[in-house]
Amino acid sequence: MLLLASRRAVLCLAVAALALPARAADGPAAQLIEKAAAEVIELIKATTGPQREAGIRQVLLNYFDLPYMGRAALATHWEATGAVQRERFLKAVVSAEARAYSERFGQYGGQTLTVARVSTRPNGASVVDSKLTQSNGQPIAIQWEVRDSGQGLRITDVKIEGVSMVMTRRSDFNSYISSHGGKVEPLIDELEARAAR
Amino acid sequence: MIERFMNRIAGARLPALAVAAVAALLGGCAGRDTGANEPWDPIEGANRFVFSINRAVDIIAIRPIAVLYRDWMPPPAQRGLHNVLENLGEPVTAIAEVVQGTPGRAGTTLARFLVNSTIGIAGLFDVASAIGLPKTKEGFGNTIGYYAGVEPENGGFYIVLPMIGPSNARDGVGMAIDASIDPFSIVTFSISSTAGWVYAGARFGATVVDTRSRTLYALDDLERNSVDYYAALRSAYTQQRAEIIRQKRDRTGPRAELERRDKLALVR
Repeated sequence: MLLLASRRAVLCLAVAALALPARAADGPAAQLIEKAAAEVIELIKATTGPQREAGIRQVLLNYFDLPYMGRAALATHWEATGAVQRERFLKAVVSAEARAYSERFGQYGGQTLTVARVSTRPNGASVVDSKLTQSNGQPIAIQWEVRDSGQGLRITDVKIEGVSMVMTRRSDFNSYISSHGGKVEPLIDELEARAAR
Repeated sequence: MIERFMNRIAGARLPALAVAAVAALLGGCAGRDTGANEPWDPIEGANRFVFSINRAVDIIAIRPIAVLYRDWMPPPAQRGLHNVLENLGEPVTAIAEVVQGTPGRAGTTLARFLVNSTIGIAGLFDVASAIGLPKTKEGFGNTIGYYAGVEPENGGFYIVLPMIGPSNARDGVGMAIDASIDPFSIVTFSISSTAGWVYAGARFGATVVDTRSRTLYALDDLERNSVDYYAALRSAYTQQRAEIIRQKRDRTGPRAELERRDKLALVR
């Protein structure tokens, strides 16, 4: 009986632990995502062409922790990379991502983003669940990883239908590096060449 | 030394060894099971070769057809074809759901199949969803992943299949089981082998066009924004399949995945 009671207590605690972060759907992390989405939609409505790309680039710089994402994508190679190379790498990654996201957002066609629940993680990150509802077809599940690494809350990863942008980039870079003699230099050159195009 | 080893392999240990080999192929090694690793790709050379052929076929034929289909086929017709294909998959989904231990879910799937095949005119219209029978899609890849005691990122070795594309040991075996238990295929092949091949060919062709037209945007994006498209696709495929299987195992939500990512420590 005692065992049963304590089991129930544990269960209640577990449920409470589950429910608590879920209730904070209007916390700072969720607000960050909503604000970023609203800004992007405003940009797409009001601007076109290079002006739009510049605007989206600014939103990315304001809301995303692109250096963190670049570092995470480089994974273990980060340690072996010198300061000058790191700086070149991050610069190239920021341009590449800015361009990619401008293209993605440029395809915007009236979808709405609804933020659902936020889960806070023991390592300080928050994961914001959201759904992108399209006029035709199934809604797309998008998860945003948000964390504060010294400059306020920033987005550090975007997961679309379970596919993490950072993890995919990481695999991509890792494979490129190992097929180019395990050196980071060719990757940086390639990213810089692409940014110049 | 080597001779003795070979003798042991050829001797009585063969069945045990074969079982271990199959287990290793299907489940990968437990030691790799951190999820942080790259997908296991021991035949990368062969895979890259098949990948390049697939890609050439895609550029020359499949992608252009998919673009034409997306841009010129009226959207209701596209939805209709998609519904028909999904309806053909319902019996296999139902069988997989029974094997997964959710007979209630299998009942709903069968009800969907009956409603859509009749009122929905051979599956053209998804009437069942409208009357409160939600759609699920299952196969034996998911089922193996559900029961395998490894992280769903670990689907055994990665393999690029001709025409089909990214897969792994788990999903390849699953696909073979799906095909072999498909009632439509069993019925058409029992009529005559011509009928069977016509059915299989038509269904495969339609599936290729439908699937490719739905993945145009995502794959174009992935290709444009990667330095090694092969590796990026390998990672994206592995992650997406893992997500589906993880949701199945962990019905309370994406907690296990979040915990895995905490441990992963992308930046140390």
